[in-house]
Amino acid sequence: MAEATVTASAGRPHLRIEGAVKSFDGRVVVDVADLTLGGNPVEGLIGPNGAGKTTLMRMIMHSIKLDKGKVTFYPGDGSRGVAISSLPAHAMASLGVVKTNQVIQDFEKLTIWDSLLLAAARRREERPFRIFAEKRVWARNTAEIKCYLEEFPFANPYGFAKSAGEKKLLDILRCLLLRPKLLLLDEPTAGLPADVRDRVMQTIKKKAGDENVSVVIVEHDLNVIWTLSDYVHFMAEGSVLLQGDPAWIREHETVVEKYLGKGHVGH
Amino acid sequence: MSLDWLSAYLIYALFTVAGTIGLAQLLHLQMGLAGIGNFGIVGFFGLGMYAWGVFQVRIPWPEALGDWGTFFLSLLMAVIVSGLAGVLIGWVISDLEGDGVLVGTLGFASIMYWLALSEKRWTGGAEGMAVPDPLRTFNWGVKPMSLFWLGVMLLLVVGITYYVARVHRSPYGRLLIAVGQNEALARSLGKPTFRTKLILFALGSAGMGLIGAVFGVMNHFIRPTEIGIEVTLAAMVGLVMGGSARVWGAIVGVLLTAGLFDIVVQIYLPLPDSWYQITLPVVREIFFGAMLILVLLWRPLGLLGDMRRDKLVERLGSG
Repeated sequence: MAEATVTASAGRPHLRIEGAVKSFDGRVVVDVADLTLGGNPVEGLIGPNGAGKTTLMRMIMHSIKLDKGKVTFYPGDGSRGVAISSLPAHAMASLGVVKTNQVIQDFEKLTIWDSLLLAAARRREERPFRIFAEKRVWARNTAEIKCYLEEFPFANPYGFAKSAGEKKLLDILRCLLLRPKLLLLDEPTAGLPADVRDRVMQTIKKKAGDENVSVVIVEHDLNVIWTLSDYVHFMAEGSVLLQGDPAWIREHETVVEKYLGKGHVGH
Repeated sequence: MSLDWLSAYLIYALFTVAGTIGLAQLLHLQMGLAGIGNFGIVGFFGLGMYAWGVFQVRIPWPEALGDWGTFFLSLLMAVIVSGLAGVLIGWVISDLEGDGVLVGTLGFASIMYWLALSEKRWTGGAEGMAVPDPLRTFNWGVKPMSLFWLGVMLLLVVGITYYVARVHRSPYGRLLIAVGQNEALARSLGKPTFRTKLILFALGSAGMGLIGAVFGVMNHFIRPTEIGIEVTLAAMVGLVMGGSARVWGAIVGVLLTAGLFDIVVQIYLPLPDSWYQITLPVVREIFFGAMLILVLLWRPLGLLGDMRRDKLVERLGSG
C-alpha cells in the first residue's frame, strides 16, 4: 500500500511515519499525519526550539513511546516494509535504522577501540560461549576502524575518550560502524571542533551518495543544512509544515516568519 | 600414604576457600563486568545444594542407574534448577536499579533459607538431611574422599577462573561491560540487553548451584546453617577486596579474607579452645566487615586497582 505513495524514492531506504502523536501532560508535542523521511540522500529536519524534532526522532527510535500511530521502515532493496514501531529498541540497529545521540553518551569503562569493536561485532560473536572470538572480530574490522581513526585522530585510541568532542565523535563513528541504511543525526555538530565537523559531514555525505545510505539531519547550525541537504522538512508546533528544496525553504515566507526572522533573507 | 599431617579441618577450610573463590569469580562476571550487584549468591548456592540432595535422596531412582548414575543425574538437575531460578530472578530484577537489585536478590536468598527450614518433608528442616557419597563403595575412608572432592572443587574453580579470564578478552566481555555501563546506549547499538542480562544470570546461577551441590556432596550433610548470609558476604568481600580489575582480583581477595582467617588464624594461631564454637564465627564477620571498610576507604577499586582496559586493548590490537 505505502510503496505506491513513494515512487520517487523506491530505491532508497526510508521511513514512513503515519498518524504519529505524542503528548506530554496533555500538551501535544508531535502530531505528524504522514511523513516520509529518507527519500533523498541527505535530508534536513529544521524548526524552532520546541517544534518536536528531537521528540519525533526519539519516537522513531523507541526511546519515547508513541501515543498512537505507526512507523514503517522500507529498506530500499525492494523488500517489504517493517513496522518498527512494534519492534524492541535493540532490533532497530540490525535493520539498519541508527541514530546518533544529541546528549553525549559513552561507556566509561570501554576504550575507544572497545567502543568501535562493540559496534562492529556481530551478535553471534558476542555469545557467552564464544570466548575465542576476539581475534576474528579484530581481523574482520581492524581495516575499517583504522581507516576511520586515520581520518579522525583521537589523542589515544587505545585509551578512553576524554573530551566532549572525542565522545561526540566516537558516538558518530560507532553509528557508522553499525553500517546503517538510514542514519538519523541529532545535532551532530554540537560540541565538535569546526574542522572535525566539516570532515564528519563530508564522510557522511559521501556515504549517502556512494553507499545508498539515507541521512536525516536535525541541526541548529543552518549552514550545515543549506550546504549538505538535498531536501528539507520544516517543522513547527509539532507538525511538518513545509517540505522542499533547501533554497525554496530558505526563502519561504512561513519559515522566515516562524523561524529564521526577516533579517535572514538575502544573506 | 599417611594423611595424618592433614587435618580434616584443613581440608574443609581449603574446600570452603576454593568454593568462595568460585562464587566470587561468578560474581565478578555479574557485578564486576555487568554491574548487577547480586546479593543472593547463597540463595543459588543453597538451591543447588538442596536440589542435589533432594533429587539424590528423595527421588526413587531406578536401581539400574547405580550410585554414579543417580549422582550425576541429581547434579545435572541441581544445575538446571539453579539456572532456571537465575532466569526467574534475572527477569524479576531486570528493570530495577542498583538498590532494587540488591534487595531483590537478598530476598531470594532469604526465601531459600526459610524454605530449607520449613519444607521438612523434602529438606529435613533444621536438622538437615544426610546425603550419600558416591565414593563410599570404594571404602577409601573419610579423608581421601574429602581430598577427592577438594580436587573436584579446585578443578571447577580453575575452570571458572579460566572462563572469566577469557571473557575479559572476548567480545562477550565487552558486551557485558557495555550493558553494565550504559544500557540504553548498548540497546541503541543493537545489543539485546535484557536477554544478555538474563543469560548471564542463568549461567552465573547455574555455576553457583553447581558449587553448592559439590559442597553438599563433600559435606555429606545438608543443613540450613550452611546457607547463611556469610557465604554471600565472603564472596562479596573477597571480590571487593581484590577488585574486578582482572581475574586475579577474586583470588587474591578471597585468600586475604577467608583464606587468611579460616586457614591461617584458625589453624596456626594458638587460640583458646573455647573460642572455636561461638567466638570465632563472630570474629570472622567482624574481621570481614572491617576489611571491607578499610578497602573501601583506601582502595575503593580493590587492591589490584581499576580495570586497565587501555593496556589490554593495546595488547589485543598489536597481536
